[in-house]
Amino acid sequence: MEKIIEPFEFKQCISILNSTGRKAKNLRELRDVIAIVSDEAIFHHTYQYFLKGHILEYTNDFAHWASESLEERVLSEHLSNIDPYDFKTIDDLRSELLNVIDKYIERFPEPREAIPGDEFYFNETVTLIFPVGIIAMNLAEFLIAIKYIDVGSIYYHFYEARIRLGVDDFSKWMEDVLGKRKLAGRVRAIDPFMHSIEGIREHIAEAVEKEVREDMEFTGIER
Amino acid sequence: MITQYSGIAPKSDLLLLQKLGEILNNRSFLHINSTRTGGGVAEILQRMIPLLKELGINARWEVIEGNEKFFEITKKIHNALQGNVERITNDMWQQHYEVNRENSEKISLYADAVVIHDPQPIPLVEFKKNGKWIWRCHIDVSNPLKEIYNYLSRYCEKYDAAIFSVAKFTRAMPIDEFITPPSIDPISEKNRELTDGEIKEISERLQIPIDRPIILQVSRFDRFKDPIGVIKAYRLVKRYNDCILILAGSPATDDPEGEIVLNEVKEYAANDPDIHVLLLPPFSDREINALQRVATIVLQKSLKEGFGLTVSEAMWKGKPVIGGATGGIPLQIIHGVTGFLVHSVEGTAFRVRQFLNNPEMAKRMGEKGREYVRNNFLITRQIRDYLAIWYFMENKGKNILEL
Repeated sequence: MEKIIEPFEFKQCISILNSTGRKAKNLRELRDVIAIVSDEAIFHHTYQYFLKGHILEYTNDFAHWASESLEERVLSEHLSNIDPYDFKTIDDLRSELLNVIDKYIERFPEPREAIPGDEFYFNETVTLIFPVGIIAMNLAEFLIAIKYIDVGSIYYHFYEARIRLGVDDFSKWMEDVLGKRKLAGRVRAIDPFMHSIEGIREHIAEAVEKEVREDMEFTGIER
Repeated sequence: MITQYSGIAPKSDLLLLQKLGEILNNRSFLHINSTRTGGGVAEILQRMIPLLKELGINARWEVIEGNEKFFEITKKIHNALQGNVERITNDMWQQHYEVNRENSEKISLYADAVVIHDPQPIPLVEFKKNGKWIWRCHIDVSNPLKEIYNYLSRYCEKYDAAIFSVAKFTRAMPIDEFITPPSIDPISEKNRELTDGEIKEISERLQIPIDRPIILQVSRFDRFKDPIGVIKAYRLVKRYNDCILILAGSPATDDPEGEIVLNEVKEYAANDPDIHVLLLPPFSDREINALQRVATIVLQKSLKEGFGLTVSEAMWKGKPVIGGATGGIPLQIIHGVTGFLVHSVEGTAFRVRQFLNNPEMAKRMGEKGREYVRNNFLITRQIRDYLAIWYFMENKGKNILEL
């Protein structure tokens, strides 16, 4: 009997922004609010940074603000170097953010203030997840879908999945369901910090297309 | 009607709208504001209510009635919230409340969700019947006159939630605060594609010469929109580049200052034949659409701005846009990517000259701007946000909701 393949079901998430009502006008205030603000706010300003799509000079909102509003570019680089996926809990990530800021304040005790209106506003999100009605039964179908699926869907499966599963949904399906370990490895090797979501799309499509082409060339031939 | 957005709005927004429509089917959704015409709020509601109905939601739009005195008071409140020094006496606050009390007797306030737009009808929460009540603030309250804001807070805190257009307008409040920008309707008369014939006919009717580059600002005649600053910038540009300036706007029933500002603008224009000050009647959507399409560059040189929907409108038409770095304009214009942000008359003139002298750059930013609006500022996204907030309010405590 033919094996039933579990299809890949594309889902998407959209986020509704809500405010914590807290803001910071300088680095010390930023540090103090990071220490007490909700996990959801830390999550939003770090993991969800990639939903913005168009800004990729830094890797989280704190780094972006430190550069653009405080002009503390060294700090921005340090903050950008923090990989949120390195931490098991949001509190661990929070501690690392505080650690980096504290070290910076020790060296530069009087950083400048943001001009009024340019303060850092701490927000959180409410996330709605829903299926988009597209499923892929095989890699060829997956290739078409990944080329045209909404960026919100790529965000959900590539970034958000790392919080849920520790790995992106795409490569997990490729490995667990299709048995494509090498392809899964290539998808996992895409640096989540170095590309916009459109860039992630292109890299995944490229890896999958290569695999599909090879599969077609070798059909019926032992590999 | 929703199907008309296929291929225009992002598909995911349309899918989510359908899903939320199924969940909230037959529930009642009431919106209340203070004017049926003029300004972005009325414009959005005109389009949003039929779409909500089509999704199976029992949507209703009511407008509070007030006399001239009431609107003078609420204009003062509006200005004070945007930072102007105004004095609101106890008697005036009492009148503000009293007009709302009278309206509460005329309008049925029963609904599963109620959105009260802006400060004019904010006291209606005192007469809340049932459902979730949300105050929707459309104006820039980032630097308000404190005593006015504090007075309004007593009403605000009685709501279940508040919605602001931009994060920096929010305040520490004991209720949920959401940030959701307003939007434009891509298929409305103001934003739909126009034929060349339509554009030509309207330009001729409005006596707009199209033989030279056109700089346009569309807005109410309001000092916060800095129409005088626009004329100053145009005069600086004119030293190097021949062009014409159009300042176009419509009066709004809740803005008694409009006529005074219009006269100031006309006087400052000093009969320059290349400055066209157009006071268009309400519902001049097709005319504004044509003006935005015939324009070479669109300005929104606001000094204070709630959001500035005219920016999204112009970007949707692929125009290079220059906007004041205030309120919601920086949310729409990513400096150097989807347009330019400016802080002064001189900055405005400089960017206008840059666009006039580099049409390729103007075209590129215009294209980026259109796509940015498609993904972020269309009405389908805003309806999606309102319904999602309502759904969240009914599922409090969950930050992730799977549909």
